[in-house]
Amino acid sequence: MAPLTGPWSASWWFAPAALGRIAVLRVLAYLLVVVDLLFTTSWVAHHGDVSSSLYRPLFLARTVSLPAPTSFGVTLLHWSLIAVAVAGVVVTVAGVRRGDRWIGLAVAVLYLWWMFVAMSYGKVDHDRFAFLVLAFVLPTVGFARVGQQDRSETAGWAVRMVQVAAVATYFLAAWAKIRFGGWGWVNGATLARAVIRRGTWFSDWTLDLPGLLHVLQWAILLLELAAPLLLLVRSQRLVSGIVAGLYAFHLMTFLALGIVFLPHLVALAAFLPLERLGRRGERAPTATALSGAAGP
Amino acid sequence: MFGALLAGTLWGQDDHFPFGPFRMYATTQRLDGRTSWYRIDAVTETGEVVFLSGASYGMRRAELEGQVPRFVEDPSLLGAIAEAHAERRPDAPGLVELRLVKRSQQMEGGRPAGEPTDRVMATWRP
Repeated sequence: MAPLTGPWSASWWFAPAALGRIAVLRVLAYLLVVVDLLFTTSWVAHHGDVSSSLYRPLFLARTVSLPAPTSFGVTLLHWSLIAVAVAGVVVTVAGVRRGDRWIGLAVAVLYLWWMFVAMSYGKVDHDRFAFLVLAFVLPTVGFARVGQQDRSETAGWAVRMVQVAAVATYFLAAWAKIRFGGWGWVNGATLARAVIRRGTWFSDWTLDLPGLLHVLQWAILLLELAAPLLLLVRSQRLVSGIVAGLYAFHLMTFLALGIVFLPHLVALAAFLPLERLGRRGERAPTATALSGAAGP
Repeated sequence: MFGALLAGTLWGQDDHFPFGPFRMYATTQRLDGRTSWYRIDAVTETGEVVFLSGASYGMRRAELEGQVPRFVEDPSLLGAIAEAHAERRPDAPGLVELRLVKRSQQMEGGRPAGEPTDRVMATWRP
């Protein structure tokens, strides 16, 4: 029987993962960047029209002296980022062995810059951490092809980093609720306020059931605090099931409040056996491993 | 990196993005308190009072709300919103006045009670 390993052991952080998982994560992440820039956070581009008197640069943006966004600068950043992200998708899907890591690094750096443009006008969003980790660890892994079953420690480390970041997002969000909201967060009208501010047909009826909202507040906090346990689950099937449950939770939040954390959802996919996608016909697992290992 | 994240959660503020605390909806609402949000109303050349959507001046409501103390202290800053609106909506009627409005909703037992009330927090004229 394998010994119980966890975040306290080095072998857990470097447990080999299939390169196919990295390849699919690259495709998903770079596609998300394109969707995010064109649709879900197209408001970021609007900041180019806002006077610099309303620009409140964040600590890291001030540290590296990023210039205040201008209409031209934001447009240039927007389209450069879309171009490298599209290139990242194409290179990964086509299995090109050159330039893939440089493209990945460019996506990560430009996306972080884009986030500074997004968050420097009086409101910081908190759903991007795991995705930023994903964007920055993807280029640390070498060439990876969709469906590739070979495992490597570098891929394992990258997958782990993203998994820990995704789980930390839940746990630390619960911590922040206790730090900023206190126990009033779970016992107050937190969700009622959210529904009043941004309710939909799916959620408006809950305003008549304050008891239900109260229970949901406790459920959310307890689930977030329990999230790190996901790192200790060994059965892939159980992990996939729990992650599917988390996706269902985020879908309900979207229907109820119109809030969706797409980048976080992509990072969460690091828990799924994505290497099974696009596997090429081979039946016997040994044959797969051999042909992969013997690749050029 | 995770150390920075933990420190950010314990002691950090939003300013430390991406290592700040994850305070998405972390604020508390008392069951019998008031919940409030902000909006920009504008008076057009023809004397009509219109609501300005965030997209019309390039900012989200939460960003407006994040800078409320600055607008209250220096209402001339609302001029930057009028400027951005003119840039983004060149065909819209001209604006002769901007108002930062705080809209409040009384809550009783965790449910909205009565109609929301408005209070003008800052006014700007060109």
